[in-house]
Order: sequence, then C-alpha cells, then structure tokens
Amino acid sequence: MAEFTAEVFQNEFLSEGGTDVHAIVTVTCTGAGTAGGAGAGGGVAEIIMVDTSGSMSGRNIESAKHAAQVAVDQILDGTWFAIIGGSHVANRAFPYPNARVSMVQMEPGARDEAKRAISMMTPGGGTAMSTWLRLAAQLFDSVPQATQRHAILLTDGKNESEARGMLTKAVRDVTGQFQCDARGVGSRWQVDELREISTALLGSVGLIADPSEIAADFEALMRASMARGVASADLRVWAPQGAQVLFVRQVAPTVEDLTNRRVEVNALSGAYPTGSWGDESRDYHVAVRVGSKPVGSEQLAARVQLAVGGEVVSSGLVKAKWSDDETLTTRINPEVAHYTGQAELAAVIQEGLAAKASGDEATATVKLGRAVQLAQQTGNDEATSRLRKVVDIDSEEQGTVRLKRNTSTLDEMALDTASTKTTRVRR
Amino acid sequence: MNARTTTLPPCTSCGEEPGDGARFCENCGADLAAQGAALPEAAPDAERERPTEEVTAPTTPAAPTAPVCRACGGTIADDGYCELCGEPAGNERDHWTEQPAPWVAGACDIGRRHRRNEDAMALAADPEPGRFAALVVCDGVSSAPDSDLASLAAARAARDVLAEGRPDGSTPVTGTTSERMGTWSALLSAAALAANEAIVETVGDKAHRDDPPSCTFVAAVVDGPLVVAGWIGDSRAYWLPDDGPGRQLSVDDSWAEEMVAQGMSREQADASPQAHAITRWLGPDAHDLTARTAPTVPSGPGWLVVCSDGLWNYCPGADDLGGLVRTTAEATGGEPAPLAAELVRWANAQGGRDNITVTLARFDNLLMNLPPTPETADEAPTTPTDPRS
Repeated sequence: MAEFTAEVFQNEFLSEGGTDVHAIVTVTCTGAGTAGGAGAGGGVAEIIMVDTSGSMSGRNIESAKHAAQVAVDQILDGTWFAIIGGSHVANRAFPYPNARVSMVQMEPGARDEAKRAISMMTPGGGTAMSTWLRLAAQLFDSVPQATQRHAILLTDGKNESEARGMLTKAVRDVTGQFQCDARGVGSRWQVDELREISTALLGSVGLIADPSEIAADFEALMRASMARGVASADLRVWAPQGAQVLFVRQVAPTVEDLTNRRVEVNALSGAYPTGSWGDESRDYHVAVRVGSKPVGSEQLAARVQLAVGGEVVSSGLVKAKWSDDETLTTRINPEVAHYTGQAELAAVIQEGLAAKASGDEATATVKLGRAVQLAQQTGNDEATSRLRKVVDIDSEEQGTVRLKRNTSTLDEMALDTASTKTTRVRR
Repeated sequence: MNARTTTLPPCTSCGEEPGDGARFCENCGADLAAQGAALPEAAPDAERERPTEEVTAPTTPAAPTAPVCRACGGTIADDGYCELCGEPAGNERDHWTEQPAPWVAGACDIGRRHRRNEDAMALAADPEPGRFAALVVCDGVSSAPDSDLASLAAARAARDVLAEGRPDGSTPVTGTTSERMGTWSALLSAAALAANEAIVETVGDKAHRDDPPSCTFVAAVVDGPLVVAGWIGDSRAYWLPDDGPGRQLSVDDSWAEEMVAQGMSREQADASPQAHAITRWLGPDAHDLTARTAPTVPSGPGWLVVCSDGLWNYCPGADDLGGLVRTTAEATGGEPAPLAAELVRWANAQGGRDNITVTLARFDNLLMNLPPTPETADEAPTTPTDPRS
C-alpha cells in the first residue's frame, strides 16, 4: 500500500506587520506498487499516439514505429490499450479499425497483433493534433473501469492543418480525462504547442534530437507509467479564514504553476490535481498571505495535504510566528530561496528565447544573462550547459552574456523544452 | 459538595485522584490533559454539576467534545490548530472555559503578552437560574514564579468551601436574608483561609522562597436574591443591572485605594507609579488573610461579573464595564458563555497585556422569594433592599 509523507521547509518567523508566508512542501510516495496492481482502485489504460503525417516519411516513421513497438512491450498484461496514428485526422491503428471494441486488454496475443498493426502504419497527410486528442479521449471513454489513463503523443512537426485555437479547445476539453506525455522529434515542431498539451494533461514535454533515440525514450516513459501504482492524487491547500493563497507551484522535478487549477473542496480548501504517483518525491512551493498579528502570536498559515480518492493521506503544516527578533525574521529559508530562483530561471529562459525569436536582442540578452546568473546561483549545471550553446558567458556571477550568432534551432529548443526542469536543493 | 462522576485516571506525576472536571492536578498542578486524561467541556460540566442519584462513576464517560478555538470559536483539528482561523489550540492551562449551569459561565485566558496564565477560576452553580452560584477568581502574582499553581489551587479550594453552603450542599445556608448575609460572609472568609491552605500545600518547598507563589482572591456567591462578594487583592466583583448604573462590589486592596482612604486625592493616587501595587494577597508570605466582604440584594435583572485586572484594566469604571457588557451581550445573544468568551476576546483586542479571567452569572427573573428549604420559614423581603445604598 502506498504511503505518503509531507515535509515542510520554511522560515515561520515574520517581522511585525509581516503577512506573506512561503513554504516548500516535499511530498514523497513510497510503496506505490505497479499500475493496476494490488491496492489500486481501478484498471489502467494506455494509448500511444504516433504522428503519421507526410513529414514523418523515412527515418522518422520507421523509428517511431519501432519505438511504439518497444513501448507496447512495456505495457503490463491486463492493461487496456490502443494505438492511434495521427495526421490531419486521427485513425485507430489498433484495435483494428474494423474491431468492435475500442480498446483491448494486453495479453501476449494482443501484443503481437498490436506490433503488427504498428508495422503497417504509413505516413501521409497533414497534422491536426486536436483530432488525435479527441479520439484518445473517446477511446478512454469506452473503458470507464480504467481510472488510471495515460497516453504518449509523438510528433515531428507543427500543428499546421488547423487553427491554433482548435488545439487549445481540444486540450481544454480533454483535460482531466487522461494524462499525456508529449514528445517532439527533430527541430520542426513547436515547443509551445506540446508544452500546452503536456502541462494541461499533467505530463512532461521532451525533445528527441535524433529519431534513433525515440525507442529508449518511449520505453522509459511507459515503464515509468507502469510503475505508478497510485492512479490519482490531489494536492490540497487549506488557508485560514480571511487569508489568500498567493500561489501554488510544483517546483520539482519540474516547475508547473498549479494556482489556476484549484478546484474548491470547501470555503477554505482547494484541490490541485497532480495525476498519478509512483515511488517519487515532488516539491511544492505554497505562498499564503495572512492577516498580520501582534508580535508573539502564532497561527497556522496553511495545511498542505495529499488526498487520494478524496481522503487526506498526508499533511504538512505551514506556520506563521510573529517576532521582533531580527535574527529570526530575516533568515531566508534555503529551500524557498532555491526554488524561487529556479522558477524565475524557467521564466527568464522562456522569455529570453521568445524575445530572441522576435528579434528583440536587447531583452533576450538581459533575460538570458539573468538565466545564466540564476543557474549558477541555484547550482543548475544542466541549465548552464544548455545556456552555453545559446549565449557566450562573460560573467556567470554578474549574468553578463552575449547572444551567440548562428545557434542551432535544436539547441534553442532543447533549452526551451528543459527550462522547467529543476535541480533539488542540496540538503 | 458537587456530585462527582469523574473517571479520570490518577495524576501520573503524584498519584492524586483528579477532581471533578480537573484539567490540572489539584495536588501538584501537572497538566492532566498532557497525561492523556479526557477533558470535559462546557456541556458535560453543566451535566455533572447537577445533583444526581447516581454518584458512582459511569462506565462510559461522556465523549470528549472537540476543543474549541479561543480566537474564533471554531473547532480545533487533530493537528492542534483551529479548522477555521489557524489559531493554535495552546495549553489547556492557558485558556479554558467553565459552565457549571446554563446561566453561569467563565473564561480564563493567558492574554497576548504573558508567557503563562497565572489567572485561575473555579465555578459552581445550581441548574435553576438564580438559586445558587459561586464564582471564584484568583490572579497569580506574576513577579512570584509558580503563582499559576497557587491561583488554581486557591480558586478550587475556595469554590469547594462555598459549595458546602449550596441548597444541596453538606451544610446548606439557611435563615433570613440578614442571617444568610452573615453566614455567607463567614463562609467567604473560610474560603479565603482554605484557599491559602491549598496554596501552601500545593507549592510545598517553594513556600520558603523569598518570593513564594501567591495570588489575589475574589469570590461572589449568589443565593436567591442575595449576592455576597468577598476579596483579598485587586481582582473585582461587579453588579451590573440592565437598567441603572453598575456598581463595583469589591474595593481593591491596592496602594491607590489605601492612599485614598488616608485622604489623598483619587487623581493623585491613581497617577502614582505604584497605584496598582496590591497591599493584600494569599500565599505563604501573606500577612492578612481576612477577606473583606460586601453583600447586596439586586433589584432587577442584570449581570454579576467577577474578573481579574486583565479585563478591568481596560475598562475600570463600573459604568463603562456595564456599557461594555450590555452591548456585548446584545451582540452575542445574551448567553453567559459566549459573552465571557467575547469579553476575553475584547480584552485581547485591547492588547491582552495581562492574563484575562471573566466569570459571569446572569439574572433574568430574580428569585424574589428565597428558595424553599425544609428548615426555613423566613420572611422574604417584599421590597428588595440594598444595604450598601
């Protein structure tokens, strides 16, 4: 049976008149088991969406087909599954289009047949990812017994066969129905399009530079999905009467702003969906504004809890204590400082690259310079090495950089895609 | 004595059997809540104080109700903080309420500035409004360490002595109004002595310190239409009628009052830095244990208030306090328990510089006739008189 713990890192001391309380809450899950395993409430369903547009012809489609077959090997017996080939329309590749059922349960025969179906996929047509997502939602709908639903989406190009708004609308419509990891292969896809999908559908976005790497990525994604024994959990944040939740942000392993995903539990508590869990730790940054109290007072500023199936399984207490002792109130909590810097790092990388793309080199230089400084301060060496491919660094401490000429699109996309990845605090 | 229906286990520090509704060991002052004893709340208190045939311990104690937040009245969650406002539950000694009957209630609170709650209270009452109540408040002297132990022991000992005179007590007070005044005055003096003995017993070796634990004492007894107050120190009793001016029943044993008695002007006395220094107290080093007493016969509905200076310092005049109590009672619905809680909240809002204790008895329909008791056939006064006016 999965067990959750919540650990709170904060400086609870506020100076006189202080109102804003910040805390990092580390939620750790152990004993999750396997997807659909003992203790899981319902069944598990997986869908693999492979881009079969004309642009995929050649190495891309062959690598993608191989990767999909590798992924199918990772799907545990008993898991409901389907394969979708996507172009400007979406087609169910397996179960075969003439099959009466929309999804089947994995077993050796089905696995062989699915791989054969994948091998027969052929490229052609445009790209309209809204149709892929809608078909996936429709297939998942046919197995209501499967409460844990996960998909992988792979594309190599822009969503060029439909208006941008169509994708946004489809993403909004299917949000909450399944989780989706999105992958782009090569350098001709749009980071913002896939990020929109993966963010809303509680998955990750990733760049695969070379088609030969798709298989390993798919294998890892599917294995991770199969190791998530907790189908669904919500982060719950309680704040006292009259207080205001300033923001709720996942800060590790990636930065995701959850503030606007709040679903009211009651007048004082909101739930933020976090999807399924395996054995892992995630860090959340919660900021609450409370009414100031006299020096010497104490109050609870937030309860940060994890709820599975509507039941609270772990709770962390965020406190506020007003003090006139400056040695207490001026202390900055290292976890809060670290993740505040990492969240800003993600933002300035994205803003810097957007400025660069629009030709605003001055802004790009300032933003990416700040990114270099933050990456150094927070010890995010991966970000530093990705930044080095886009800028020449004069001083890491000062954040002074020059934009590189002739940077590769792939390097910029890699920097953008990985911008939300954070490093943990060295404790 | 009150009917005892306690099932609390003995104190783990000293083995003493906890008293009725005890939150702290009456012998050593240990926190019984921390020892895992279930703390009875206001409602069970009222239940227990009622005399019942069944005086043996029931096999299943009343289910402990969830503790109530001192700041907003919300429920304290299992994590020790209020479910509504996030206020910490705090120590039971720092804040508790009592309500021995629906018409009598009290709240005792640490305030905002002190590290300990050295105030204490102890209440007893008959379920029938106006028939019998004893309100005792003791304010530990904060300059003497461990005065919180002294005040709690003193308040409870005094209450138990006064409860002997209740209609169903071991030695019911009977007779004409003036006889009753005399008997209650004597009982109040006896209660002060018993309180002092309880202090000496409780503090043990601490009695030999230079600054032994000590406290003030004020008590008021309600007996039919009669109210008798007794005090040592500067904790106060007030009678606040719904119509007409309020009156302070007690006279502070303070430096300022002594100076006024010797002829100094009130302004000059009150302005002196030692104006609030008390001249009499209870404790091992007390020099005068004679409680001064004052009887009164209220002539209409109103509130009897017995409180510590944590309240009256913010509102010293009887008229000002009367106005505060009247408006607060209107806002809280006229029941004593929420009124006491709100007055404590109000004092905290003024700064909460001291511990705050407010105990109240509500008179709606005064018992104009003395309660019928088998031994008495006295004349009830047809026109209530106030011997002090």
